[in-house]
Amino acid sequence: MYLAPEGEELEIATAAADFIADALPIARLHEGSRPDMSPELRTSLGEMGWFALALPEDAGGSGLSAIEHALFFREIGRQCGPLDVLVQALAANCVQDDDLSAALIAGEQGVGLLVADGERHRLIGALDARYGLAVSPQGAALHDLAGATIDFRPALDPANSLAVVSDIGSAVATSEGARVWQLGQVGAAAMLLGLAEAALDLIVEYAKVRETFGKPIGSWQAVRHVCADMAVANEGARAQLWYAATALKEGRGDATAHLDAAKHLANEAAQFATDSTIQLHGGIGVTDEHDAHLLMKHAALLSRLFGERNALLADLLHAELED
Amino acid sequence: MDLRYSDEDRAFRARAREWLAANAPKTPRPPDGPEAERFDRDWQKKLFDGGWAGVAWPTDFGGLGLSGLQQVIWYEELSRAHAPALHVSTTYVAQMHAGPTLIARGTDEQKAFHLPRILSGESIWCQGFSEPGAGSDLAALRTSGRVEGGEIVVNGAKMWTTAAAHADYMELLIRTDPDSQRHKGLTWIAFDMKSPGVDIKPIRTMLLDDHVNMVFFDEVRVPISAVVGEVNGGWSTAMATLSFERGLGFIADQLELFEKVGRAIELAKKTRGADGRPAIEDVEIARKLAAIKAETMAIRSMTLADIAETDRTGMPGPKGSMMKLKVTATHKALTKLVSDILGWGFFEFDGDRDNNPWTHDFLWSWVFSIAGGSNEIQREITADRVLELPRSR
Repeated sequence: MYLAPEGEELEIATAAADFIADALPIARLHEGSRPDMSPELRTSLGEMGWFALALPEDAGGSGLSAIEHALFFREIGRQCGPLDVLVQALAANCVQDDDLSAALIAGEQGVGLLVADGERHRLIGALDARYGLAVSPQGAALHDLAGATIDFRPALDPANSLAVVSDIGSAVATSEGARVWQLGQVGAAAMLLGLAEAALDLIVEYAKVRETFGKPIGSWQAVRHVCADMAVANEGARAQLWYAATALKEGRGDATAHLDAAKHLANEAAQFATDSTIQLHGGIGVTDEHDAHLLMKHAALLSRLFGERNALLADLLHAELED
Repeated sequence: MDLRYSDEDRAFRARAREWLAANAPKTPRPPDGPEAERFDRDWQKKLFDGGWAGVAWPTDFGGLGLSGLQQVIWYEELSRAHAPALHVSTTYVAQMHAGPTLIARGTDEQKAFHLPRILSGESIWCQGFSEPGAGSDLAALRTSGRVEGGEIVVNGAKMWTTAAAHADYMELLIRTDPDSQRHKGLTWIAFDMKSPGVDIKPIRTMLLDDHVNMVFFDEVRVPISAVVGEVNGGWSTAMATLSFERGLGFIADQLELFEKVGRAIELAKKTRGADGRPAIEDVEIARKLAAIKAETMAIRSMTLADIAETDRTGMPGPKGSMMKLKVTATHKALTKLVSDILGWGFFEFDGDRDNNPWTHDFLWSWVFSIAGGSNEIQREITADRVLELPRSR
């Protein structure tokens, strides 16, 4: 029993942090950068093998686990990275066909996320996508978007495009079981954790330099105590994510319950931290040039995917836990 | 990261479970009074005789020197066996504060005298830190000690002293340099509660119990050999205690909370609301219960993550303050929710914990978020030491 990243896990986390801070820094969203991954970024992430961390080696992956997957997507979250990075990785875990799988792992073909919305579907992160992936706890299905009607809509969250899609056609690949959904939960929870940590870091650094009434705002308890509460929420979300990712890696019987709890706590922590960081920044916090609103908008999107509050809580209530 | 227990840890769990099944008291702990004290001393003696006393203490001082993880296993098994929880016992201060402080700062004579008595349940300790004018701001304390030859003469008053009427000794922090300010000029004394000139007055709390007290000192003479650490160096001795309290000191509470949520869910299944339906069918109650369950899962994970960190650094870190914030907030949310589940049963309360443990717990939730450093102080500590924000004072 050891519930903290160690050894090679730490090395992968550091490598991911360096690569992502360079390849898709959050600053890109202030520089008129397009939403979603560009084809160039997608192939460069693919070359590094980032989409296949949790895929077995004989399936063309790195043979690592949900732990490394979590550590990577936490760094994606820190930079407000697009959702389609995660969807690409999930698609790679959904497909058995060698050629298609290789194309997805390499990032040659893009994948957006399909989410049912009444009679039609929403499609997120598919500006350059060939495929759409629909995921549920029962299984996952990859659809070719070639024949679909895609109506791109204005998107609140600048990190990802948003579309309404109809006529998605039949699936080109499917997978049974919870595996893809669970990796989606780990990835989304990890991104939310990264967003929450970035939101806290933003206000902590600002509170050291911004002065009111002749003192740094970080010395006022009205600011300090909210920051402390953010730190507590983040700590709980982080520890529970480590537990859930490790439970998934080890195939424990209570992994589902721990994943639901991890996603719920990440939802709550990210929404609290991104809300609070805007408020504590004061006026500058509501400006477009600031990162705070980018984090808030992305957190709002991610907290609705791979388990939103009410569904998670309904599943969690009666779940049995092991020692 | 790894959730699997080693063979050694699994064997330890099995050993603890087996011993507790045979030896844990079959009757509940009396809520207070001399019966509670007798019960606590007997249980501590039984733990001592069975080789289970001092789980966190180093082996050199008669403890078991358990790893952080084995301490978690021990408290989980205590909770599972419905054995008395350490944090409600009158032996808590001795186990978790006084003993560790003596181990860190005591002389060989002090250790040889006190430590075996604490482990065997012969000595009960209380904490004499807070005063009427010094609670969160401990360094404002004014109880004085006049050094006269080989003695210190104590005058003043301590407040919120849990178990003072049962205690044999007190961790007494006083001002021995009358010209000193704040953290300087304080002295930490292993104080004999049977000294002439000590007067104990219970403070009735909103729980309708008398577990906290005021303790008055009128020209009480203490041999200087009872000083732990240096005369006028008491702040440093006191801090050794507090960091221990904020570190692993809450393990038992953390794990018990986990257990309590399960009981609350069972309660919500069998308790019917005014409309005749089980409380669990109320979607708001069900969601709140599940959200609190998630919080207790996070608390357990935080405990395990903290232990991984503590095992690496060898010291409980400042994250103990964050743990206390999370645990007390979750405890308050749970007991508040159960007050809704219980309906009118919640209001039937005569002060007896056994008659209505949930209402008792509900009232205790404020004691929990104030005692041992209020939540406001814990936020200050988190802001200073974890986030390294500019100081507020």
